[in-house]
Amino acid sequence: MSDFNNFSRSTVFSRPEPEPDLLARLAQAEETIQAIHHGEVDAVVVNGPRGPQVYTLEGADHPYRVLVEKMHEGTVTLNDHGLTLYSNPQFASLVGAEPHAVTGSQFTCFLQESDANMFASLMEAAIGRGHSSGNLNLREQRGSLIPVRVSLTLLDIAGIKNISILVSDLREQQRNEAILREEKLSRLILDQAGECIVVIDPQGTIVRRSESAKALVGGFMLLERFDDVFPLTSAGEPFNANRILTAAAAGKPIRGLDVTMPHADRRTSALLVSARPLWSEASELLGCVVVLTDITERKRAEEALAQQAAELARSNSDLRQFAYSASHDLREPLRQLAVFSELIQQRVGDRLGEEGTHLVGYAVNSAHRMEKLLADLLAYIQAADAPQDAAASTDANEVMKKIVGTFQERIAETGARIQCGPLPVLAVHEVHLVQLLQNLIGNALKYKSDQPPLIHVEAERAAGEMWRLSVSDNGIGIKPDYQALIFGLFQRLHGGGKYSGSGIGLAICQKIVHRYGGTISVKSELGRGSTFLFTLPGASA
Amino acid sequence: MRNESGPLKLLLVEDSPADAYLVREAIRAEGLPFELQVAEDGEIALEILDQLDSPSGSAALSLLLLDINVPRQDGTVVLERLRRIERCAGVPVVMISSSDSPGDRERAFELGATEYFRKPSSLAEFMQLGKIVRRLCMGATAA
Repeated sequence: MSDFNNFSRSTVFSRPEPEPDLLARLAQAEETIQAIHHGEVDAVVVNGPRGPQVYTLEGADHPYRVLVEKMHEGTVTLNDHGLTLYSNPQFASLVGAEPHAVTGSQFTCFLQESDANMFASLMEAAIGRGHSSGNLNLREQRGSLIPVRVSLTLLDIAGIKNISILVSDLREQQRNEAILREEKLSRLILDQAGECIVVIDPQGTIVRRSESAKALVGGFMLLERFDDVFPLTSAGEPFNANRILTAAAAGKPIRGLDVTMPHADRRTSALLVSARPLWSEASELLGCVVVLTDITERKRAEEALAQQAAELARSNSDLRQFAYSASHDLREPLRQLAVFSELIQQRVGDRLGEEGTHLVGYAVNSAHRMEKLLADLLAYIQAADAPQDAAASTDANEVMKKIVGTFQERIAETGARIQCGPLPVLAVHEVHLVQLLQNLIGNALKYKSDQPPLIHVEAERAAGEMWRLSVSDNGIGIKPDYQALIFGLFQRLHGGGKYSGSGIGLAICQKIVHRYGGTISVKSELGRGSTFLFTLPGASA
Repeated sequence: MRNESGPLKLLLVEDSPADAYLVREAIRAEGLPFELQVAEDGEIALEILDQLDSPSGSAALSLLLLDINVPRQDGTVVLERLRRIERCAGVPVVMISSSDSPGDRERAFELGATEYFRKPSSLAEFMQLGKIVRRLCMGATAA
């Protein structure tokens, strides 16, 4: 096209030839026709006798019209008052209207009301500077808002100022942005999650992992094989990606399985593995999400604790055995001591004289006291040792009848009255309930005031399966200072004279109540009697 | 049960010389003629029973006083051996123990004891053992 100069890509100048070579002109003419034919030329400028003349080619408008009609973006042409002169179908469909209904409407009708001012500024800028652009919200017919970008271009055609607006729907872009943001967030979550998260594909290759997972094994690259990075074993068997994937494919997610993992530096980590299959929307197995929790420290602490507990149990059992043997075996020589002291009194008493007989009498008494002490101590040890039978069931009313029988003589001596409300059936061994109530009733009879003893035994429901029982008396009472002490072993509040005892009875009571998960306490006022309160489990009906 | 031709033949299985002394005293207090042989452990007791079981065996046993908790052989083994000797099948056995637990008492009767005597810590109570021996050897009416 040597004789035509391109004019804005599509306009061609024709220069006059002083002496045209016919052949060359023919070729030029053919080229020009060809260009017009291909739509490369919209207009031809011919230098004629009256100066350059522009010949536009009507056919060249056609591709633009088609473009405008078919293009993805919406486009409208407004007059300088904002009245819509033309809308392509895309804009009309964007606002949910027919193109002919758009034409003739004020463009602001299709805008969110609050955007009217902004649009006015854009119009002003376009009329003034030829171009402006900004983001607005269209309001489609059903009322929903559509975010769009508008580009306004001033068209000054033959002195008439029109504005052409290109309208791009931003929804998809915003959606993509949202997806991107979400994607970034999930990457951040994965990076910063405290858990070791590893995603493997169906071939057992690591495709994603959290930073913590890297830290667990001292760093690894993506696309390494799971089995190479995490040489796990479970109960001595290798626990590999294949097992995880097989379980996942079978619909059996792995939850908190104990595994161990050796490290290069000979350390071993204890881990919990959880794994879930990762399905695509089309229900294809994409792989597995594997979560590894490092429980090495916890496990170590647990082991230390278990070891301590075992040691404690052993030493406890040793102590109990010792106490049992001591109290049991000590009784034998003591018993003999008592009997032989008596034998001395009987056989050679006359040779001992009055003082000698008296002294041997002290020895006999001491031996008897110590024997009683050891017997009580033995009872205390056995209160903890007797088998705890879950099915134990004892009617407290029956036990009370027995105890009243046991104390018959003492009751008659003291003129005591025992008033007993309805009592429950308790999930307690009979031997324990007898021991407990016998100690409490015995104390009430023993620590009596000048009045005949009046003893109340009552029961009421407590929390859950528990019953609260009370044994109250009108005896001498206990000073507040001593109330916390009385359940201790060998705690005696009275000198040997007036009230005899080993100081073990209430310790036995507490031990029995505790072994059934109950509590025991005392309320008392000096000189006004005491009330012992304790809880025990009721037998299930 | 009475040995018509002479004193009561008693066997005591007891490792404590002090208790053996007291047992002897309690029986003596009853004023009955008796011979008391003391085995200090289960092994010796079994040897004595073996001799009883032989054809040249000495005169039959009137009563066995058995502390269940003796060295070398458990008292129960001694009791079982006694029950296997035909002519001793009806010999009364007094189980002597320092335990007063109902479980031990029950077990003694299950094993075939005739009486259960808990070693007491008062002389008067210990002397009751003599009365038990008299009752078992002489029959209730003679007590």
